[in-house]
Amino acid sequence: MSAIEVARLLRIAPFKDMDPANFPKSAQLQDILKNDARLRHFEAGEIIVREGDYGTSAFMVLSGSAEVVLSPGLPPRLVGRSEAKRRGIFRALAQLWSNSREQEVYRGVGARRGAVAGDPGSERGVVLQDVPRVLSGQRTATIEAGDVFGEIAALSRMPRTATILANAGGAEMLEIRWQGLRDLMRYAPQVRKFIDTIYRERALSTYLEELPFMRHLSTEAKRQLMDATQFETYGEYDWSGEYKQLMQSGSTASQEPTIAAEGDYPNGIVMVRAGFARVTQRYGRGHRTLNYLGSGSMYGFEEIAHNWRQPNNQVPLQYTLRVIGYTHVLVIPASVIESVVLPALPAALLPPLMGPAAGSRAPFAAEPESREAPSSLPPDVMEFVTKNRFYNGTEAMVIDMDRCTRCDDCVRACAATHDNNPRFLRHGPIHDNLMVAQACMHCTDPVCMIGCPTGAIHRETFHGNVVINPDSCIGCSACANHCPYGAIRMVEARDESGTIIVASDSKPINKATKCDLCIDQYGGPACERACPHDALKRMNLNTLKELADWIER
Amino acid sequence: MLARAAWPSAMLAAAAACVGAFELAEPRFPRIDFVTGWVLLFLALFLTAYNLRKKVAVLPLLSARIWLRVHSWVGLLATVVFGLHLRWQIPRGPLEAILAALFAAVTLSGIAGWWLSIAIPRRLTGAGGEIPYERIPVVMRGLRERAEALVVAAIPESGATTLADFYSARLSPFFSGPSNFASHVLGSRRALNGLLSEIGELKRYLGPVEMSSSVELAALVREKDTLDLHRAMQLTLKGWLFIHIPLTYGMLAFAAAHVVVVYAFSGGAR
Repeated sequence: MSAIEVARLLRIAPFKDMDPANFPKSAQLQDILKNDARLRHFEAGEIIVREGDYGTSAFMVLSGSAEVVLSPGLPPRLVGRSEAKRRGIFRALAQLWSNSREQEVYRGVGARRGAVAGDPGSERGVVLQDVPRVLSGQRTATIEAGDVFGEIAALSRMPRTATILANAGGAEMLEIRWQGLRDLMRYAPQVRKFIDTIYRERALSTYLEELPFMRHLSTEAKRQLMDATQFETYGEYDWSGEYKQLMQSGSTASQEPTIAAEGDYPNGIVMVRAGFARVTQRYGRGHRTLNYLGSGSMYGFEEIAHNWRQPNNQVPLQYTLRVIGYTHVLVIPASVIESVVLPALPAALLPPLMGPAAGSRAPFAAEPESREAPSSLPPDVMEFVTKNRFYNGTEAMVIDMDRCTRCDDCVRACAATHDNNPRFLRHGPIHDNLMVAQACMHCTDPVCMIGCPTGAIHRETFHGNVVINPDSCIGCSACANHCPYGAIRMVEARDESGTIIVASDSKPINKATKCDLCIDQYGGPACERACPHDALKRMNLNTLKELADWIER
Repeated sequence: MLARAAWPSAMLAAAAACVGAFELAEPRFPRIDFVTGWVLLFLALFLTAYNLRKKVAVLPLLSARIWLRVHSWVGLLATVVFGLHLRWQIPRGPLEAILAALFAAVTLSGIAGWWLSIAIPRRLTGAGGEIPYERIPVVMRGLRERAEALVVAAIPESGATTLADFYSARLSPFFSGPSNFASHVLGSRRALNGLLSEIGELKRYLGPVEMSSSVELAALVREKDTLDLHRAMQLTLKGWLFIHIPLTYGMLAFAAAHVVVVYAFSGGAR
């Protein structure tokens, strides 16, 4: 953004009300606007954000207005939402002879596939025609000048929740990258307060709707529930450093902060909104991991329901809920549950009473059901996945070492599809016969993105896979250092002759490389397709069911 | 369970169909050997295509897992067709005998590889100390350096060279490179137990400092032995392909010669 544009922004709210003295020298207000924001003009009917897309920026309306499509939502095809283009069959085949013999040959800006697939900088500019007809039958809301949107997706690294398009006459927007928004929230209290307010107004109702009992509540009851809900955040937003320290010190569950403790009186139900929490139970002198809960999971409801039904036979919390990494939770007080929720629930939907054997059951994980810890999964595997925080991975590379012949066909296939540079190491933590290799897991909470100064590492728009745009990667290693799993490697960029490319200061130019799930290749990840022995599987470890099924296959 | 039985069932059904078709067709078509021969050649080429599939990972040509299953079962089916082609007799001509021997060798090496790829990974996992094959020499060198440093450090502290002498005589060859390949392939622990036993016997001659070093030395011996096991097993897994694949191409070359000879001396197939 130019200096003139920055000066213009500094004259309008909310920027004119911010105190520059609150900003440190390293992140001055004008620098944040200059480096992390840009002005964008949208013509009438042009889509600004699409429901389901992953975005890393928020928008503020400077002039004009925009329409939010609330429900039922526009069909993905209508709004131009489609998967990233894959290579043609001939281009795929041509890799056999066109791949350079050198690793990671850099062919210049825009020449590489990473720039095509999911590049946030690529302006697609889908413009809807006949907007009134398209929006007929849709519930919409209008956003006027001064309003902010897109902040939830930007800050929580989650998909956009609605499609928003510019109204007649077009709209001028200020787009702020999440890094800039984070800094504004940090140094300008009014921005933090404003974001918190709109978060409560817009997101809370959506989140609470995920609770299994919400559909039985009246509008008034829902309002009471929303008003009573508290937000709590535990752990470090950037938890990779803390994790590495804990791993070095040989951490145990008992060292993790507690959200709710086994044996305590159940004061409220806890709903995990972001991050993960570990469910443990006392075992001997230690704590045994029974499950881990991710977004949408609930804790404490069974005990509260029991106590409400049997006031003379009260039970304490059966399990401990612990913070692992960064965990954002909603807490609904027990008094509200007892007075508003439970009386409205049909008897058939009440959880069963807790008997003497309650402690030996798998922990209640509420919705979604797939979060129930499979009984077939041994506790030590659960501990392995939790201790190493592999639950974060949506595409973890799990290898069955009892089947792996160490032939490295997976590594060769990866190299063949990625400039002769295998994007993973067939090496990693092992438990029994399970290895989780050092390959990008495309995490639910990709902490690698936190430190990237240029936004080169980002979520691909359609699937949300974490990819790197080599053109904007400056080789600072921030992502590699942040990745808790050692899945990002810095490599020296080379020219066609194999010579290392050096910058003007004679230092080699490095690029961050990692698994991109063969996003532009046919057939999915080449590593998995190349394994002849069914030993390698890319799997979602957010839930344990897939792992349990795979182990039992 | 049902899915696991599908492949062998399909192979048995296909084999039965081949035998049945052969028995039915043989009285009517005197030149049925040409048909079985071409079918066999086609199967051999198809089986070889699995290796090509591995080379072109960039194309969506089904997963290697499916290819290997098909490769294995079609390979076994080919042995039935091979038997029919030979009419279950040993060929008498030298070219045919060599070709038949190569076919048998390819089949047997394939079956051996199949078994190895099932048996060895479990042994490696059970042994622990997982390490990529390429890293083995580096780790091995590190172990040798640690062992030598341990023994040398014990000399001035203990004022004796008993452990150092033993190291030079018995352990230096062991640590200097890969050892006991055959023992590991055969699953024998005799070599390791022998070394550990010798270290145990030596303890009666050692002072406290050397005694402590000998315990650490024994741990390094175990570590090196695990490394040797990984090397031997991984080398075996990689090495059998160097038998199976050259034999395959040799067989194909002889098969091509066989086709030429057959057509040259048969007056052409009709």
